[in-house]
Amino acid sequence: MSHVDEGTLHAYLDGELPSAERAVLEAHLAGCATCRANLTEERALRERATAVLGAARPVERPAPPLEQLRREPKRSPWRVRRSFAWAASIALALGIGYYMRSPSPDARTSSAQTQGIALDQNPAAIAEDKAPTRPQSQRRPSQRQAARPVDEVVVAQKAPRPDSAAPAPRLADSVKLNARAVSGALARAELDRAPAAAAIIVDGAPLRQLTPTTWPVINRRVARSILGEEPVGLPGLATRAFRRAPGTDGTVVVEQALDSSTVIQIFQRPAYPYDSSGSGTINEGRSRPRAYANENQARERSNLRFGRFVRGLRVEITGPLSADSLNRLLEQVAPLPPLP
Amino acid sequence: MPDDIAEVYRSTYPALVRFLYRKVWDAERAEDLAQEAFARALVHRPENTRGWLFVVAANMARDEARRAAREKRHLTLLKSEPDAMRSAPEDEMDAETQRTRVRAALEELTPRDREALLLWDAGMSYDEIAAQTGLARGAIGTTLARARRRLVEAYDAGLEGGQHVARG
Repeated sequence: MSHVDEGTLHAYLDGELPSAERAVLEAHLAGCATCRANLTEERALRERATAVLGAARPVERPAPPLEQLRREPKRSPWRVRRSFAWAASIALALGIGYYMRSPSPDARTSSAQTQGIALDQNPAAIAEDKAPTRPQSQRRPSQRQAARPVDEVVVAQKAPRPDSAAPAPRLADSVKLNARAVSGALARAELDRAPAAAAIIVDGAPLRQLTPTTWPVINRRVARSILGEEPVGLPGLATRAFRRAPGTDGTVVVEQALDSSTVIQIFQRPAYPYDSSGSGTINEGRSRPRAYANENQARERSNLRFGRFVRGLRVEITGPLSADSLNRLLEQVAPLPPLP
Repeated sequence: MPDDIAEVYRSTYPALVRFLYRKVWDAERAEDLAQEAFARALVHRPENTRGWLFVVAANMARDEARRAAREKRHLTLLKSEPDAMRSAPEDEMDAETQRTRVRAALEELTPRDREALLLWDAGMSYDEIAAQTGLARGAIGTTLARARRRLVEAYDAGLEGGQHVARG
């Protein structure tokens, strides 16, 4: 047998050499120092190639339940499954409303504005993604609500989302029920019985189950710099940390404490650069390049079902709460008050 | 009889995401595409789910190719944002730089070599790779050997010549 070619050596190393060939090869190797040296070399090469590739692997997140995929294609992004789990977040929201009764003008404006952001799920709009601009009516679904005072934060949601094809959750009912029974105890009960590590979001689709505790901690100003506007969170909750995703997609996570043992994470990253241009408060002077916009459009098209937009940010939420609770919390997310 | 998709889903999803990631270079996009591929599999019920999935995924990734140029510009632009970059810790910069280099190195491979390598890395056997790429089974070892060599060489060349990459 002449010397073994590298292809055969690789097939051998890969365990893919048919047994007859393998026996011949091993017999040859036993008597051929050159081929043994080559094998050693190829083994090192193979390992290096694996290591190089391994340096570029995505963070592995658990797959969503297969059933979720089954239902997905025709699903409306904003159809929220009904269950009793709304209680915690509504109670919390009322608490936040109370807490924020006399905030700064900035906080008023920003919280109120978020009420107006509805997810654009019009199929026609999706088809128009490549068009240079969107019709004004689609781009700014309801900025007309922008002047709403903050202490109406929950009640305001009785208004149907103008862009939503699906019926909005009947929050009016929820609020009414809670008016009788708003209490910390209710919220606690919900927290206690919520399955640990349930993930987001709309329609129970788990999206982020990974806890990116390894993401680098950054400060508020850096978060703002990455996002191009104020990071968003749940007003009134203590912020434990801002973290930055590895990589360049501009994702920031805001970690906030519901209580001493319950931390929720609010993922956010820039969406449409022009979504925030109309608000005129933040983000001024920063015009994102076109390529960035397109890329996020592409993202948005695929991720429509999983999050919501708050001004120019695409926001996802996760935490040890039920999907419904997280959905409710997601609706309360607003830009954090600007730094003094 | 079609495979048990649930079982394939369990065993193959991460590999499919990884496979797609190295084509679209966006982790969430890769997840979306992988989920979309499985969603289609649930409808089509292919005989060989695994093979079918990778074919579909490869096609979807190809459809993404026209976005690749834009994303490339996006990466470049991000790198030129001084605030974001200055705030990035060193180790993270390294990870990002490394990813960029791996990507550049992979692009030095011929499409067929790259495909074979990514499929192998996704856990496919020589038989499956042969079925997917149209290569003869006997040629897979040679193809992979060449792909690995070029990958490592291009990566090392990037290390020597590409120090500026980190700075943009």
